[in-house]
Amino acid sequence: MLFSNKLRYALATVAVAALVVLGIDVKQAVAHKDPHTADQLKAFEDVFMEQVKIGDALFHGDEKGRGTKLSRTGMACAMCHPFASDTHPHEFPKFQEQIGSFATLRDMINWCIEKPNEGEKLAADSDQMKALEAYIYWSNRNSKLDPGRH
Amino acid sequence: MNDRQIERPDPSTVLTRRSFINKSLLKGGAGVAAAGFFPVINTMDFAYGQGAQSFRFAWVSDTHLYPKDVNTRFVDKAVRAFKEVQAMSPAADFMIFGGDLAQLGDPVEINLGAELLKEVKIKKYFIPGEHDWYLDMGALWNKSFGAAPWTFDHKGVRIIGLDTISYAEDFWTSRKYSPKERMGHMATLDGTLGGAWSAVGEKQMRWLSSTLANWGKDKPVLIFTHTPLYEYYPAWNFWVRDWKAVQELLAPYGNVTNVHGHVHQPLYNEIGKMRSIGMLATSWPWPYAPEGVPALTRPMVRADPGDHFDGVGWGSLSGGNRVEAEYKMWRKTVFATAEVDSGTGDNRNQVLFPRVVDRL
Repeated sequence: MLFSNKLRYALATVAVAALVVLGIDVKQAVAHKDPHTADQLKAFEDVFMEQVKIGDALFHGDEKGRGTKLSRTGMACAMCHPFASDTHPHEFPKFQEQIGSFATLRDMINWCIEKPNEGEKLAADSDQMKALEAYIYWSNRNSKLDPGRH
Repeated sequence: MNDRQIERPDPSTVLTRRSFINKSLLKGGAGVAAAGFFPVINTMDFAYGQGAQSFRFAWVSDTHLYPKDVNTRFVDKAVRAFKEVQAMSPAADFMIFGGDLAQLGDPVEINLGAELLKEVKIKKYFIPGEHDWYLDMGALWNKSFGAAPWTFDHKGVRIIGLDTISYAEDFWTSRKYSPKERMGHMATLDGTLGGAWSAVGEKQMRWLSSTLANWGKDKPVLIFTHTPLYEYYPAWNFWVRDWKAVQELLAPYGNVTNVHGHVHQPLYNEIGKMRSIGMLATSWPWPYAPEGVPALTRPMVRADPGDHFDGVGWGSLSGGNRVEAEYKMWRKTVFATAEVDSGTGDNRNQVLFPRVVDRL
């Protein structure tokens, strides 16, 4: 016999407990999958596009009231990256040559801020970083996912 | 295929651009050499087979000077370019400044440029860029450097400088934009409010037509513009909106070369019998547009964004019986040898979308 009766009872108890837990999760998951209303979808889109617009402004050198100093040279991100071209968000994470390590898009954004633009880097989870990321991803949204490509 | 499609530029024209190291600059520039770059001078040599003589001239454009208290990196590169032009031996016949001397048309920037340009003692000719123009609508530019268009004949070549800048539709009056706001929108390459601002315009085309009226159809013509005389990615204003009318006007002439700035990248194109050559900036390189790069262009290598002397400088164009482009920059080989290092091949999986706003 592969298992003793004692061990079989223990396994069965664990299995029942797991099903109970899963059942709760399934119920929650089902609840979460209620059909979205058009208003909800519009609200989600509005939240995203608001961040895209803030990111667009920051990317084009308009930092008024944002509490950032993304450049001290007069250069804005868009002066080398019109339409967020050559930012290649679809290629991160990857080994980034200039940084000399495995890097995320946020790492590269901060590298550009600190090095070419001589500005002050952003906290990786800051609202401004998320907005820049939103604008860059949105501008490149149909690019083919190609992580790791140099 | 019609006759126009199979027309090519006159093969008797040989256009070369060469680079050489000036020894006098090397002697005085040990620190420069030690930093890994050399005082490269590039010129254009024109050799025409139909009665014209060979000659050499220099081209500098797109210096995009900021006031020195904002940054000096563009000043440093402009100074370097002007010193190298002046150090050419034998001296160039003349220098063309191809526009965008300033970044935001600020009198401080234009006056700084005028001061730096005093380094160049050879004859200088100027055409404006949009960055020079839209703060005061060209007032200080024209006062400082003279108005375009202009023309002169040199060693059998009719040489023409056009203004492709001052023809933007008025987007500022109804919106009550200040001159600074107007300039800011015009200075944003991927902005939309400026519209398709670059043009030759009907009046200037009449001038061009009359200027060429007494010139032989097979004789060489050299036209300088800030923006290219063909359609190249309109979304970034890399074009002249009435280029087709210009091409029609120039079609009877069999030996026309257009040299332009604005795009900050090597470009080569042929339309009918006219060739166009895009020059490097001294300030910074623009990326190639996601579509519309002329098929005849040999793309430059990806520039290192951490090195502001990379991707900029001068170039080299050479030809056998047709024009071939061979650029050199201050830092490294211009042309990529592998797709992965190419300024266009690098973007093979990139799909871009235009902005939805200019400014909040």
